[in-house]
Amino acid sequence: MRDLTVRLSALDPDAGAALRVVSYFDELAAGHAGLHAIVRGATSLTGSPARFLDARRHLRLRVNSAGENEPGEDDVADGSSGPDPAWLSAAVDDVAVLWLERSGPPRVVDAVVLERACALARSVLERTRPLAASASRRQDADLLEVVLDPRTPRDDRRRAARSLGLAPETPCRAVAVVDGTALVLTGPVEPPLGSRRAGVGPVVTVDELPGSWVAARRALRLTAEGTATDPGPRIVHAEAVQGLLLLAAAVPAGAPPVPDVGAVERAAVLAPWMLRTLDVLATTSSRRAAATELAVHHSTVQARVLTAQRALGWELQDVAGLQRLQLALVLRRLHRNS
Amino acid sequence: MTTTTNITSTTGSVTPFDPEAAAALAALGGFPPITPDLIPVVRQGLPGQLPPSDEELARDGAFTVEERSVPGPDGAPDVSLLICRPTTTVTGAVYWIHGGGMVLGDNRGGIAEALDWAQEFGLVVVSVEYRLAPETPHPGPVEDCYAGLVWTAEHAGELGFDPARIVVAGASAGGGLAAAVALLARDRRGPGLLGQLLIYPMLDDRNDSPSAVQMADTGTWGRTANDTGWSALLGAARGGPDVSPYAAPARAQDLTGLPPTFVDVASAENFRDEDIAYASRIWQAGGRAELHVWPGGFHGFDVFAPQAAISQAARAARRAWLSRLVQA
Repeated sequence: MRDLTVRLSALDPDAGAALRVVSYFDELAAGHAGLHAIVRGATSLTGSPARFLDARRHLRLRVNSAGENEPGEDDVADGSSGPDPAWLSAAVDDVAVLWLERSGPPRVVDAVVLERACALARSVLERTRPLAASASRRQDADLLEVVLDPRTPRDDRRRAARSLGLAPETPCRAVAVVDGTALVLTGPVEPPLGSRRAGVGPVVTVDELPGSWVAARRALRLTAEGTATDPGPRIVHAEAVQGLLLLAAAVPAGAPPVPDVGAVERAAVLAPWMLRTLDVLATTSSRRAAATELAVHHSTVQARVLTAQRALGWELQDVAGLQRLQLALVLRRLHRNS
Repeated sequence: MTTTTNITSTTGSVTPFDPEAAAALAALGGFPPITPDLIPVVRQGLPGQLPPSDEELARDGAFTVEERSVPGPDGAPDVSLLICRPTTTVTGAVYWIHGGGMVLGDNRGGIAEALDWAQEFGLVVVSVEYRLAPETPHPGPVEDCYAGLVWTAEHAGELGFDPARIVVAGASAGGGLAAAVALLARDRRGPGLLGQLLIYPMLDDRNDSPSAVQMADTGTWGRTANDTGWSALLGAARGGPDVSPYAAPARAQDLTGLPPTFVDVASAENFRDEDIAYASRIWQAGGRAELHVWPGGFHGFDVFAPQAAISQAARAARRAWLSRLVQA
């Protein structure tokens, strides 16, 4: 098993090894090799065990460093570890992930193997297991509903989680997407979300997913379109806004806005730059930084601040005033996203 | 009317490689056809490949490792045996003969798999350091192997196993030498063998079977390399009428009276047809043999692509045969 890896690194330290990795996966592609062969290839070229998980297609593979398929985590006693967030990984598509069971920094060979293996896995999956998107998504939605519902008994939740490819101890998190979709992710957050607005729940184990889901939905209410009329972050991680999540819980749908929110709304109609400028003022550390962010001269920022202060009815020159502004903007988003 | 089927050579395209085997070959950059002038080069080994140290062979105390010098054939130098003895129960021995086309390698080559068997089944591994061609032509190499086997059987008591429980095993040239040693042991009435495990053995100096022609210089050990190896061993006699079956077991007229035999080979290698024929002829002679042909492998596929599905299956089949043999 070790042999190929050793020979590769002995023959060619970096660039040459990368070329050989490319040749390896090109040959697998030419021979119409399947997913198992691809994951085994990742193992044999890097010397690390490799894992592949595709929750949507219900595929889960682990190849140990001897190149042998290991039993799925269904067969492993509870308490077995799921993918470690520190492992090197790459997204095969918007759900499937390939891991090398080693932590960084990645060697050249690791990076090339992940890239080539994922590209080939993607084409194999598209050829051999194309998703009839609606059907398989609907089934997943049912399973996700069971997993995320706090009233689901523990064993039922674990069973549903296994069907999604999650062992009980797998670190995972719920994600609430603006279109109403729920996701449970074990890998990187960015690729599956793309540009979609989403709230990302904290990393938990399967038993705690309902809590992660509650936090994700609250975090979603803190997101914005990122436009002139709705400035703010498109993706919010619950772990980074713990206090604001409490605020979200305290502002249910239909609750009357506090007067500061009304002040922001009134200010917004005075100038097209108003909301974005307020948002930047509230989230940057200095006027100079705000000017850079807004791409205007700092004297322009100063003029805008004076206009905004008059419209809002409170000072923006000190931390307390900026904090009041920040909370007003957050509350505005909570009302808009209720 | 005649019922004879006339098999003509149907040289079509080559047998395709298994994708994982092909991928490993591509990653390694392929192998040149080995001509005689390349023998000194290939003897230097592949970069990054060192023979296992005593410490590695000991496998954290699973084995004690020693190198013993024992009497060689009459008038020839002593033969060195690498002896790895399990520190737990011993039920028999594997007499391992390394490969290398008759022209390269040493008694630590390929021994890792023999040690896997030894660990699983409680076997002593004895690996023989035979002299190589062309410096030592036939019968030097096979007589060295036989002398080491005789010593091993005579010292079975000291090594802790029953002398009737020795399996000879080897890969490639080592498989051919194991087959030859089994013929010698039969014809010289000893030592008695429990079995012979022949991994893609190099059996036929004529090097002209349909698979030898079809696969030519593809894979690792192609037809040119095979010519080089056999010519080193036999000189001008190679392919002629007077080659001894103890040099090229495919030449044996009589394959009766051999111990239970395991043969494996790959479908996309030179040795395919000579190895299949050897197993068939053992059956025809009333013997016991098990044959596996692994689809799409090249010569040594399990060594160069150890992770490939066919490589894992090949190793598992060897273990299963040994398990039935030694645990019977």
